[in-house]
Amino acid sequence: MAKISFWLQRLAQLLIVLLLVTFGVSMLLRLIPVDLATVLLPVGSESERAVLRAEIGLDKGPIAYYLQWLGDFVQGDFGKIYFSGGTEEVSTHLAQAMPRSMLLMIYTQVFALAVAIPLGVISAYRAGRRADRIISNTLFTFSSVPSFAIALILIIIVGTKLAWLPTLGYVTYSEGFAEHFKHMIMPVLALSVGLIATYTRLLRADMIAALREDYVTMAASKGLSDRRILWRHVFRPSSITLFTSAALSMGGLIGGAIVIETIFATYGVGFEIFAAISGRQYVALQSTVAVIALFYVLFNLVVDIASGFVDPRTRDRRVNA
Amino acid sequence: MTTIMSIRDLNVSFDTPRGMLEAVRGVDLEIEAGTSIGIVGESGSGKTVMSRAAMGLLQGRNVRRTGTVVYDGQELTAMTREQVRNTFGTGMAMIFQDPMTALNPVRRIGSQLSEGLRVRLGLSKKAASARSKELLDLVHIPDAQAMLHKFPYQLSGGMRQRVMIAIAIACKPKLLFADEPTTALDVTVQAQILQLLRELRQELDMSMVLVTHDLGVVAGNTDSVAVMYAGEVVEYATTKKLFAGMRMPYTEALLQSIPKVDHPSGKRLSVIAGRLPDPIDRGAGCSFAPRCQYVQAKCHTEHPPLEADPDGHLFRCWFPIGGAK
Amino acid sequence: MRKFTIPTWFSISWLGLMFFFTIFGWLLPFKSWTTVFEDDLGVAPFSAGHLFGTDTNGYDLLASVVSGTRMSIFIAITAVGLGGLIGSVLGITAAFLRGKVDTVMVTLFNVGLSVPNLVLALALVSVLATNLDINQAVPTWRRVMVLIIALTIVIIPILGRIARGATLSWSNREFVTAARSMGMRDRNIIIRHIVPNVLPALIAVGFLAIGVVIIAEAALSILGVGIPDGASWGGMIARGRNDLEYAPHVLYVPLVFLALTVISTNHLGDVIRSGLDRRESKV
Repeated sequence: MAKISFWLQRLAQLLIVLLLVTFGVSMLLRLIPVDLATVLLPVGSESERAVLRAEIGLDKGPIAYYLQWLGDFVQGDFGKIYFSGGTEEVSTHLAQAMPRSMLLMIYTQVFALAVAIPLGVISAYRAGRRADRIISNTLFTFSSVPSFAIALILIIIVGTKLAWLPTLGYVTYSEGFAEHFKHMIMPVLALSVGLIATYTRLLRADMIAALREDYVTMAASKGLSDRRILWRHVFRPSSITLFTSAALSMGGLIGGAIVIETIFATYGVGFEIFAAISGRQYVALQSTVAVIALFYVLFNLVVDIASGFVDPRTRDRRVNA
Repeated sequence: MTTIMSIRDLNVSFDTPRGMLEAVRGVDLEIEAGTSIGIVGESGSGKTVMSRAAMGLLQGRNVRRTGTVVYDGQELTAMTREQVRNTFGTGMAMIFQDPMTALNPVRRIGSQLSEGLRVRLGLSKKAASARSKELLDLVHIPDAQAMLHKFPYQLSGGMRQRVMIAIAIACKPKLLFADEPTTALDVTVQAQILQLLRELRQELDMSMVLVTHDLGVVAGNTDSVAVMYAGEVVEYATTKKLFAGMRMPYTEALLQSIPKVDHPSGKRLSVIAGRLPDPIDRGAGCSFAPRCQYVQAKCHTEHPPLEADPDGHLFRCWFPIGGAK
Repeated sequence: MRKFTIPTWFSISWLGLMFFFTIFGWLLPFKSWTTVFEDDLGVAPFSAGHLFGTDTNGYDLLASVVSGTRMSIFIAITAVGLGGLIGSVLGITAAFLRGKVDTVMVTLFNVGLSVPNLVLALALVSVLATNLDINQAVPTWRRVMVLIIALTIVIIPILGRIARGATLSWSNREFVTAARSMGMRDRNIIIRHIVPNVLPALIAVGFLAIGVVIIAEAALSILGVGIPDGASWGGMIARGRNDLEYAPHVLYVPLVFLALTVISTNHLGDVIRSGLDRRESKV
């Protein structure tokens, strides 16, 4: 069937991209003008380093090294973090960090959409009027302020001056529901401000275009209320663009999360990356970047499929394309 | 006969950066219950704006509407939007030119059809669904049950137009505005749709305003015709009288521009030379003067009023075809 | 041409000022940004001798932020300039030649875009800025070079994809076909017909890219792999985090400069783009 071969093709494309990303990172590591084993084990003996080289394939050529890493990665062996006292599995770190980052991102996306959808709908409905101008201008200004700036300002005002919220650390929700959310509020706010601006703007533009469509006049001529037209006839088609862009913003969010997780010390994946870089744990870095790229790409695929269900037109258009 | 809609001195203009664009100027129309009236004119003549303004469907901050529209004894122009809305579907309904753009692309036919039934008639989900199927049968759509679950893009143009008609007549309106209902369709499909509209009018005892650029469409389908040019009604008569003898040079030119099946193939179609006048700055005199083949000096300086001949045939011309008034 | 609005005037003036600081900042009679004022530790803004105050180390913040401007703007303009040049050459060539070259280029762009900006920059910086002797600090000039290279690589696929898309849509227009049919050489078609049309879109996105780079530079500095010692806005923010509780103005000064600059570049990018849209809709 045409549909299946289309998705297979899409999957193959994504796989190639993933292979190239991981290969690129791998080559980069081998480009470092220093002996990696020395970097990973700065205080170890020469024999320990030799064992390490053999273990992760540093004694082989770059391509053999990559293939070995890839083989391990596919089997769930993400390599080790080396320090003077011994080693830790990267997968153990990620197993702890992933859920935290996922929660942070889910909260952020949900919060951003929950704020942006009503704002976008209002400003599209009142386009050009005062409510719209206030919303649009305020959000534009905020959209240009990076998340770390908002994080720092929040810490200064809400965390230090007012001392309302904790400024550091992470509490799992099994340890305390209220504490968990208290620790999440500021990171989520910092990350979502930019998204809210982007989403509102997008939704507004899309809905204004949709409001000019004949099917809106048609819906009005059926005697439907403005509210019903706005949500059932205008919001729904526009929401496809919105949700697609929400998925596409995941990448930027991961980037922003690195800084935010470091500032708030929530020990998520972003923090793991930071720790891997500052501790020169290149194997951990390679695997963590690969995991992020994998998630990012998978997420886009899921959104592609999902938007096909929401918008029947794209389903067909894609198959025909 | 009772009057279903009466339009008095309707003016519609749009506030544009260049100035006020007068789209409809001083239109008076009476629509008798059970009859059908054709509104004919080129694109840009104001016919679509006029029909949407009559129903109160024009929205936006740059729209200025004056005059009165009375529907079924209620003065629409003095009512709130909420009150006007309550006349839609059950009172007035509209069919749009392009069924592709007038049907919501992401919602199933069934939900678009039953929506009006549920909101306006308060039917239950089940009853609305059953009624939807009946409506699709009524507009001669085969396999109606399956059709309810389809999306607009899966249908042919003719089928989509039938669906739109079904939506418009769903709540048994008394007055149906059909805005170029056949323009986007093939010629053979056009004939079927017009036939369908005739049937439905009889069955439901509906009045109809048929907006079209095609005098040929008007011929067999309406009781009377109003010809619009540059936002004004320039000729009004019963369909019979109009085709028996048109008085306005514009209407004549419009008729000559229709291709006819019995024309010798070598003969050229006449087109109306020139363009519509600038809707923001129309100038004095008759709006059609610059394009009129019978134009005289007076036409450029004085704006002709809408006058009637003894038959009740109205026209807006200083020197009408068929002699003086 | 339409009249500029107040935000547009503001953006132009602010960016003009930043540009002025970048080029002539060292000529202005500010204090030295490396001088420690031991008697004025953590002085609040608007106090005598220190317009923006000092941080708790005793560095004058006005002098710091002006020299930080030079560094941040220099990095941003160089990275966007280089990345834009390379990206647009690759993108335009790919779109014009189509076929295999295009497929390869699109895949490479996708590879670049499938890694989040900051992750890519982080990976590049951490690898490139590794010293041969790992116990020795990397000199600042080399960090700057590495940052520019890393951020250039981040920018290439962003602008490359825009250039490719714009070229694709313009190379289908009649005037290109006409030029081809008259026997014009590909290179001349690209230079005479494609580039002038693609350039405005690239400039609009380029403005947005400057914002991206400024933010990325600051983020990298906060993470400790960017510019150290308060030598850029990001460096100042990183250093100011220590003063967060006692002298928050140390953070506010670079944050305000950074935010106003990004707001200005984003706004101008927007103005250019909406101007383009209007031109397009008239064509």
